[in-house]
Amino acid sequence: MLGGKGISKLLRYLSRVVYFLMPAVCIAALTAPMFEVKPPRVVDFTLQNSPTAQKYLIETMPGGVALLDYNNDGLLDIFLVNGGRITSPLLAPENFDRHDPKYWNRLYHQSKDGTFTDVTEQAGLANAGDGNYGMGVAVGDYDNDGYPDLYVTSYGKNILYHNNGNGTFTDMTERAGVAGGGWSVSAGFFDYDNDGKLDLFVARYMIWDTKHNKDCGGSFHTYCPPEDFPATTSILYHNNGDGTFTDVSERSGIAAKKGRALGVAFADYDNDGFPDIFVANDGMQQYLFHNNGNGTFTELGLEAGAALSEDGRRLSGMGVVFQDYDNDGRPDVIVTELPREIYGVYHYDGNGSFSYRSLETGLGALSSGSSGWGVGLEDFDNDGWKYLFVAQSHVLDNVEKIDPSLHYLQLPMLALNHNGRFEQADSGVTQPIAARGAAFGDLNNDGWEDVVVTALGEHPLVLMNHGGKQHWLVISLRGTRSNRDGLGARVIVNGQTRFATTAGSYLSASDKRLHFGLGATTTAKVEIQWPSGIHQTLNDIHPDQFLEVREPEKP
Amino acid sequence: MIQTTLALLLLWQAGSPDALQHMQAGTEADKQRHFDVAITEFRKATELDPSLTAAFVNLGQAYMENHEYGSAIPPLKRALELNPDLTPAHQLLGYALLSQGYAAEAIPHLAKAQDATALGIAEIQTGNLKEAVENLQIALAKQPGDPDLLYYLGRASGLLSKQSVDTLLAAYPDSARAHQAMGENYFVLRQMPQAEKEFRAALQLRPDSPEVHLELGEVYAGSSQWDKAVEEYRAQTKLQPGNAEAFYRLGDSLLQQGKVHDARTVLQHSDHLQTDMPETLYALGKASALDGDPAAAEKSWKKLLAIEKDTTLAGQAHFALAGLYRKQGKTGDAAKEMQEFQKLQASAGGASGQSSQK
Repeated sequence: MLGGKGISKLLRYLSRVVYFLMPAVCIAALTAPMFEVKPPRVVDFTLQNSPTAQKYLIETMPGGVALLDYNNDGLLDIFLVNGGRITSPLLAPENFDRHDPKYWNRLYHQSKDGTFTDVTEQAGLANAGDGNYGMGVAVGDYDNDGYPDLYVTSYGKNILYHNNGNGTFTDMTERAGVAGGGWSVSAGFFDYDNDGKLDLFVARYMIWDTKHNKDCGGSFHTYCPPEDFPATTSILYHNNGDGTFTDVSERSGIAAKKGRALGVAFADYDNDGFPDIFVANDGMQQYLFHNNGNGTFTELGLEAGAALSEDGRRLSGMGVVFQDYDNDGRPDVIVTELPREIYGVYHYDGNGSFSYRSLETGLGALSSGSSGWGVGLEDFDNDGWKYLFVAQSHVLDNVEKIDPSLHYLQLPMLALNHNGRFEQADSGVTQPIAARGAAFGDLNNDGWEDVVVTALGEHPLVLMNHGGKQHWLVISLRGTRSNRDGLGARVIVNGQTRFATTAGSYLSASDKRLHFGLGATTTAKVEIQWPSGIHQTLNDIHPDQFLEVREPEKP
Repeated sequence: MIQTTLALLLLWQAGSPDALQHMQAGTEADKQRHFDVAITEFRKATELDPSLTAAFVNLGQAYMENHEYGSAIPPLKRALELNPDLTPAHQLLGYALLSQGYAAEAIPHLAKAQDATALGIAEIQTGNLKEAVENLQIALAKQPGDPDLLYYLGRASGLLSKQSVDTLLAAYPDSARAHQAMGENYFVLRQMPQAEKEFRAALQLRPDSPEVHLELGEVYAGSSQWDKAVEEYRAQTKLQPGNAEAFYRLGDSLLQQGKVHDARTVLQHSDHLQTDMPETLYALGKASALDGDPAAAEKSWKKLLAIEKDTTLAGQAHFALAGLYRKQGKTGDAAKEMQEFQKLQASAGGASGQSSQK
């Protein structure tokens, strides 16, 4: 008879031996496909991760994608970060030679007819990142000149590209002092001190050196787990307003916590007027950096209930989104992870406290076999509830050798949000891929959110929303006292809340515009809480329009 | 023990004065762990007095201490020729033979010495698994928690189990039990499609076999096929309405599906069938909390903590209680529980700074 500690031991033994997953291809289609998957010719970029037989961890980690309107023609363009060349075995030091155009990052300009043209060279982005293995991208107008700038992260030196406003970019890294170093991954612009100038957070993964790579696996090589490498600190740069930044990592308290950061997202969860930072850490506790409002941050993940799983287990946090999934007006956190862990849903309950709701929301059952990277909460069917989209693939490209029930290539997850409960939906993607980055935005300005997903060794997937009959509203913020794009603003439309940001997901940057599905409603009330503290309300707004809202000069 | 016995032997056993002198010198050298010197002295003693039993035993022991197990065998055998009832010599010879791989030869000597540990190990090597398990259990009762004993007992039990299964598979390859056994093997090897196939075959042959539903449920639960897992666990609970484990697993699967109220009802029943099952208490606490009954959740977790203090599950209960108290605004209690959780995490190697293999 089993009982007491006896059964405890037996059950724990069983839990150790039962490690396998549902095949990714078993996902059933419960709804009509949401997207049309655009053929690769649209954007002919191939993400060169350069996989080797030695299985260097870096190979499986790129790459990011950004949706931005770099020339302000009203159409979103696509910027894609490439990995780089890796010699096998690695040189020490490795030079990540990226002279060959196939290793370049790429900028694709969208024309009015919806076609994309490679403008990398014209834009001054050719041979970008030579000597560095590319990872991610952040987008923000750091000098408030009305043109979005690019910050590209790498293993090695990061690059800040200033948008000149004439279709070209200039590398301003040295002058700005934001080269970083080490292994940078996701990054994001946000105005942590509400001074109207966008600051920059750079998440760094671990201390990894080409000279001190580790060899993992037994009879065959495999990528090493993160704990094989020392943790490191992320970087916070304060924007000085003169084109330069100051590294305030130490001063702000960010450097006080070493982690293995992969994803980062911003939102003012406690509504104190200052944006907070959520960092998705790999293989350890997640970090919630609360903004103290005085230039410093305090890491409160554990105390706030947003650091571990419901059972107190560490998580392999990779991508993260910090938005309100259940329309209660408060930002929640969803972290994508590895199989066996289920994606973490941290619902913000108020009073500085989060509760873990992966099971109640149904996401636990949906994600227990999944490995997630880029992630977004977007209202794809304009019904007023945000779907969850996750770019998925296991981290190990030979995971089937270790466990035949696990799968490297997976379909993206699209989960329908039914009053805060997630249900399986059909993205329309039928071919499993090694997806990594994901960015969200309305590519064709039809009022329906689209997605671009990067995949290792593949062209990106461009997922065009089929659309429908529901109403929508897309808002562009024009800050005056706040930063020009109003990043950090809390925008409420007919009871739905979005936090203005381009950050989140994994290595990627999304459309800065705020998209709202209005369902059958034919009028909207828009409330904006600007980073400056100004509250603005607009009544009787017509649906189905792109609305630019200018921040009042005076409160 | 052996030293004491030998000392006594020396006192009553007569020997030539020269031989006894070398014996004394050998004993002194042995005490100072100068085993080479001890071996030389004891050997001289045996040469001077070939009937001096103690000299042969001491020589054997000195060889053993010097890790020359093969060399220890002849003098110990000679000692037993001189005195067949000399228990220390039997024990030493048993050890020496076992160390050289002569397990069958060692067994009678170890049996005479009543050394259950070494006897059990020797019996594993000779394939006398039932006897090995019995002896190792006796030894473990005297030395509870001994890691070597636990290892050997586990090994003996495993081999005994394999022996039975091999016999079953050879004699009745198409029986329900044979399919079940094969399913279990595949399960351990994580070859789940094959495990599922074998369990299904077993059920086809014997649909009322309750354990198979439980095992099949585990296959599905492990692959997150919660609908199928629930179906199998339900079948198990119908066949065995008194099986608390089956109800626990059913409840936990329902919980994974987010069916918190149903899960709670089933887990309550499991707890009713068998109280104090920590897994049930933990899951019941979770289900109660999710079902909007924090008082019941607190009760379950506290009950668990009264049973388990320093296990992973105890840590999880502390963590869950911290979350519960935090939501209730009891910040002091929450901090206290979080402290307990962190203490257990630290003693277990830390959850917050390390990671599992991807």
